[in-house]
Amino acid sequence: MNGALKSLASSVGGAVLAIAETIGGAVTLLFRILRALFPPRYDAEGVWRSFYNVGVKSYPIVVMTALFVGAIMVIQTAFYVKKTGATGIIGYGVGFSVFAEIGPILIGLMFSGRVGANNTAELGTMVVTEQVDALRALAIDPLPYLVVPRFLAMLGMLTLLMVLGDLFAIVGAALTAQLLVGFHWRVLVADLLQSRLLDEFTMGLVKAACFGISISCISCYFGLAVRGGATGVGRAVNNSVVSNATAIFVIDFVVGYLYSL
Amino acid sequence: MIEFIDIHKRFGSNVVLDGVSITVDTGQVLYIIGASGAGKSVLVKHLIGLLRPDSGRIILDGEDITWLDEEGFYPIRRKCAMVFQNSTLFDSMTLLENVMLPLRKHHKMGRKEAAKAARAKLELVNMDRDADQYPAAIGDGLRKRVAIARALTLDPQFVIFDEPTTGLDPMAAATVDDLIRSLRSDAGVTCVVVSHDLRSIFTVADRIAMIYKGKIRLDGTPEQFRNSDDGVIHQFVNGLPEGPMSV
Ligand SMILES: Nc1ncnc2c1ncn2[C@@H]1O[C@H](COP(=O)(O)OP(=O)(O)OP(=O)(O)O)[C@@H](O)[C@H]1O
Ligand SMILES: [Mg+2]
Repeated sequence: MNGALKSLASSVGGAVLAIAETIGGAVTLLFRILRALFPPRYDAEGVWRSFYNVGVKSYPIVVMTALFVGAIMVIQTAFYVKKTGATGIIGYGVGFSVFAEIGPILIGLMFSGRVGANNTAELGTMVVTEQVDALRALAIDPLPYLVVPRFLAMLGMLTLLMVLGDLFAIVGAALTAQLLVGFHWRVLVADLLQSRLLDEFTMGLVKAACFGISISCISCYFGLAVRGGATGVGRAVNNSVVSNATAIFVIDFVVGYLYSL
Repeated sequence: MIEFIDIHKRFGSNVVLDGVSITVDTGQVLYIIGASGAGKSVLVKHLIGLLRPDSGRIILDGEDITWLDEEGFYPIRRKCAMVFQNSTLFDSMTLLENVMLPLRKHHKMGRKEAAKAARAKLELVNMDRDADQYPAAIGDGLRKRVAIARALTLDPQFVIFDEPTTGLDPMAAATVDDLIRSLRSDAGVTCVVVSHDLRSIFTVADRIAMIYKGKIRLDGTPEQFRNSDDGVIHQFVNGLPEGPMSV
């Protein structure tokens, strides 16, 4: 009994330490990035390349996720609308949940699975094959050269993609309303546009920007901290995905709470 | 001049360097030899701050660089280049772009100008024909030659070569040997070369230092190594399977 308690305590303690270490590492990295941004001290060409890489990698999954999010929300909302006869709120119901909550969180998760995991694997491989040391040996600081461009690209691209995602979610919702639920798509879109969802829309963008910051810092942190060959890279990718997902839920909660005040 | 003074370095319980002192005079070519795992790569990485000693001091041209911070090592790395044992080319770039990178970063050259200068460096190692290939598409020996070209782009005063001829065919190895000789005679570059290649060692080295069990076993001329009656050195220099060094 005593032994079981002890091992429980030590595994809880270990988990707490691991979480603290991740947060500490990612936040330290964020401060170093900010210091490299003011005054600007980063690789401008690399920033464009990163924007391109991140955008190309992630826009298909964002579009697909957004279409489904719109479709699912119409089906859910239509269920209640039909039951209560409150047809006037279908656009509002769909827009509210898509812009403010479900859209950002699902798109953020997909983005972290695609871009974040890829980034950790790429940086981790560069570490274990000594490419990062080779950069340092050429007197090129890896932070402005490798990390800052990725940070800017993920922050900028995820925010832009959230706008794209909102558009495609409306398309998905309109199509589903017309084809499957029996609502005219114009009714839905007109209702949605009249619902004054600007706050929800900006909240979604704020969330996206925060996700971009956390995904880039966490995935770069795990990538650069890799030790021990290919297994080390695998472990880092795993940790990066789990930590990113957790961070997304926490940030979503915090931003939502702050908006509700 | 490069001075390593009483360097100690361990990883956990694995004591790798246990008091190593070596001095390399300006314009000299020093070869560092020793069995696999003796700590040759570990020693040379200290010179550009990729590893830090547990104790001891490193002096480069009279400047104590032992405890410089990462920022402070950047000027050192511009005058002291390193060719890694595993080439370490950036695999997201072509060979030409690999060689261009230091020029674009440090000399603020435009694309065209940097490409021209980089091609000239690739010609030194006979790799200009493959300039537009990616590192993954060529063999290990070729990658190593490109890594040498990349290390020489900033015209360093000091160059560390970690096993530059391992994996190269005899002709390419001879080209690299010639390159090291001409760096010394034409540009007065100080070279530290880690090598197992007995032919290179005895044809190029001004001086040889052997690391054995964390210490310098012998530091002397090729002649002294050939004529040494120390069993360990005799075994290594003649490549004998039997002897005091357990294989
Ligand atoms: N970053 C590191 N962390 C832990 N141990 C290390 C590290 N780098 C080197 N070592 C250990 O130091 C020892 C010496 O390694 P080193 O690479 O210097 O050998 P070497 O003399 O260059 O051998 P080789 O001829 O095989 O290249 C090895 O036992 C190695 O495991
Ligand atoms: Mg080595």
